[in-house]
Amino acid sequence: MLDEKFKKEINSVSKVVDDLDYYQILKVDQMAFDEDIKKAYFEESRIYHPDKFFNEPAEIQDKVNKIFKRVCEAYKVLSDQDKRALYTKLISGPDRKKYLRFDLRLLKTETEKKEDEGTSPMAKKYYKMAKTAFQNKDYKAAKINLQLAVRVEPNNQTFQDKLKEVIDILEAKRAYKTPS
Amino acid sequence: MGKAVGIDLGTSTSGVAAVIDGKPTPIPGPDGRLIQASVVSFLPDGSRVVGNAAKKMMIENAENTVYSAKRLIGRKFFSAEVKKAQAVSSFKIVEGPNQSVRIRIMERDYSVPEISAMVLMEMKKIAEAYLGEEVDKAVITVPAFFNDGQRQATKDAGVIAGLNVLRIINEPTAAALAYGFGKNLSQKISIYDFGGGTFDISILEIGQDVFEVISTAGDTYLGGDDFDDRLIDYFAERFMREHEVDIRGNRKALQKLKNAAEQAKIELSTKLEVNLSIPDIMQTDSGPLSLEYTLNRNYFGQMILDLIQRTFKVCDEALQNGHLTSGDINALILVGGPTKSPIIQDAVKNYFFKDPQANIDPELVVAIGAAIQASTLTEHKPGALLLDVTPMSLGIATAGGLMDTLLERNTPIPTESSRIFTTTHDNQTAVRIKIYQGEDKFYEKNELLGEFRLAEIPPAPKGEPKVEVTFEIDANGIVNVTAKDKDTGKAQSVQLTVSGGLSKEEIARLKKEHASGEEVAAFRPGASLPE
Repeated sequence: MLDEKFKKEINSVSKVVDDLDYYQILKVDQMAFDEDIKKAYFEESRIYHPDKFFNEPAEIQDKVNKIFKRVCEAYKVLSDQDKRALYTKLISGPDRKKYLRFDLRLLKTETEKKEDEGTSPMAKKYYKMAKTAFQNKDYKAAKINLQLAVRVEPNNQTFQDKLKEVIDILEAKRAYKTPS
Repeated sequence: MGKAVGIDLGTSTSGVAAVIDGKPTPIPGPDGRLIQASVVSFLPDGSRVVGNAAKKMMIENAENTVYSAKRLIGRKFFSAEVKKAQAVSSFKIVEGPNQSVRIRIMERDYSVPEISAMVLMEMKKIAEAYLGEEVDKAVITVPAFFNDGQRQATKDAGVIAGLNVLRIINEPTAAALAYGFGKNLSQKISIYDFGGGTFDISILEIGQDVFEVISTAGDTYLGGDDFDDRLIDYFAERFMREHEVDIRGNRKALQKLKNAAEQAKIELSTKLEVNLSIPDIMQTDSGPLSLEYTLNRNYFGQMILDLIQRTFKVCDEALQNGHLTSGDINALILVGGPTKSPIIQDAVKNYFFKDPQANIDPELVVAIGAAIQASTLTEHKPGALLLDVTPMSLGIATAGGLMDTLLERNTPIPTESSRIFTTTHDNQTAVRIKIYQGEDKFYEKNELLGEFRLAEIPPAPKGEPKVEVTFEIDANGIVNVTAKDKDTGKAQSVQLTVSGGLSKEEIARLKKEHASGEEVAAFRPGASLPE
């Protein structure tokens, strides 16, 4: 059986866990080295691993599960360099509350932000039109505009990647339409 | 209260173990052997035989003997694997409701979990006979690369067998536990798990009592059975060139060749050359024909070289995902019957630049690990903590054809991720969402796990309802979906249909049927068979 003090701790941690950032959950400093993060993950596992509560009432198991899921999530993000860098930036900004839990889509948006939108006005215009078309799922129009953008700036990697993606989508769509 | 055991439910063989007086012990069956064939043979009188005894009936009772059911478990009828099994199996595989697979035996259709349940019941019986007490709880192992549907179906099999399934754990993780339990190690280890029907590689870090899976990769279409297939084809082709008849066209002859090929494969582990001799393998118009060939280990090695190399591609992937090289690995553990072959041992040694751990029986280590986990869970002070990961990414279909990944592969479990869904037209009351598992960016190329329906959404203008859906992968690696109204916090009904799976009602009905002895009335463990 669990002692009362520990039960109380589980209770309070499960209540506040949604307001903690991953560093707080793992009880490590933002400057922590990778090894410290792993060590902290192991330490927290020794406290909150669900197997330790297997024979406890469902109510306690649910609370521990909730905490442990956050521990795992914290480790997943903080043990990955790219994710950790982005996460640390986001929680240090004004929208800290919004970003306490990491979402994979953020990483995607971040990479998209870094895209090279072209240098010449013509290429920029075509690329913008392609993006709008892409958002409206008009992949054919997106393809034409991207082809034009590539013609103006043949060395732009973003244009080429995006064009490849659009061609892939068009091909995939065609493949699913044709009954096999 | 009954005892908890660990069960290694394998493609070709299964085993059961328990912790007895603090010592993990593999348990022998009625024939004294520690592993049993995962075979179920149905007899005309309505009784059935399971295990090594059933395997002996594969020739005489070919149509009513089911083997390698694990290759079919949790798969959809139209999958490539089921098509392949249909072509080579001596028993009949038919389509069931909801794209599921059924096995037709004497006019009755059995679901795959039911067949697996029969193997599990045999394991339960073996353990009960040995321990002298009831066994009602078990940890059951699955290949690390099993998807949600396959895990769910395995769990269903346990429930049908009348077991409280404490946990579904991964075979390589179980093996790691058996290796490192109670040893206070600080090591990175590689588990090379080549089973009868699947291949897995897992890389773990052991920190005293914590066992962390760093990465895992696998191929659920590759196993020791593929070696048998190579041998069968080789001998059948040779036979055809000589006699101009194809053994593969005759089920009984094929089964004889299959048994002999498997035997030859096993013997090549200890011998450099084997003789394959099957007198009167088949009848022709010009009298009976016999098969008589020899095969040496070297030539066999060449025949399966590409299959072994395929496993190293998977190993590369696992090492890369863990940001490791083979030099970082402190210990190498081999799991699965096929790894007893010197051909595989040499190849693996060359790949990892390391000798595999001696004193670990590749065929028993998984059941032992499962038994340790079972005792850990039923005791109040666990001596080992498993930190496992999900083997593939989980995502949902988006309108553009791309998969929206919610949880990446190699994410530690349990884990969860949420998304907010809304309606696309006014007064819409239901939303349908499809869940997939896999790494391709197009969802259609990944495995469809199932579809869920958010129902009873209160009528509102489009875009207004906000339903928060949480996708959870639990400690068993099984996906659970829950939903709530984002504004009111009220639970929202979710109807989940798992493709190819059994419904809760069916599972309950089957459990009752099997428990009431309707099917097992004439069960005779180790029954003597007509030879």
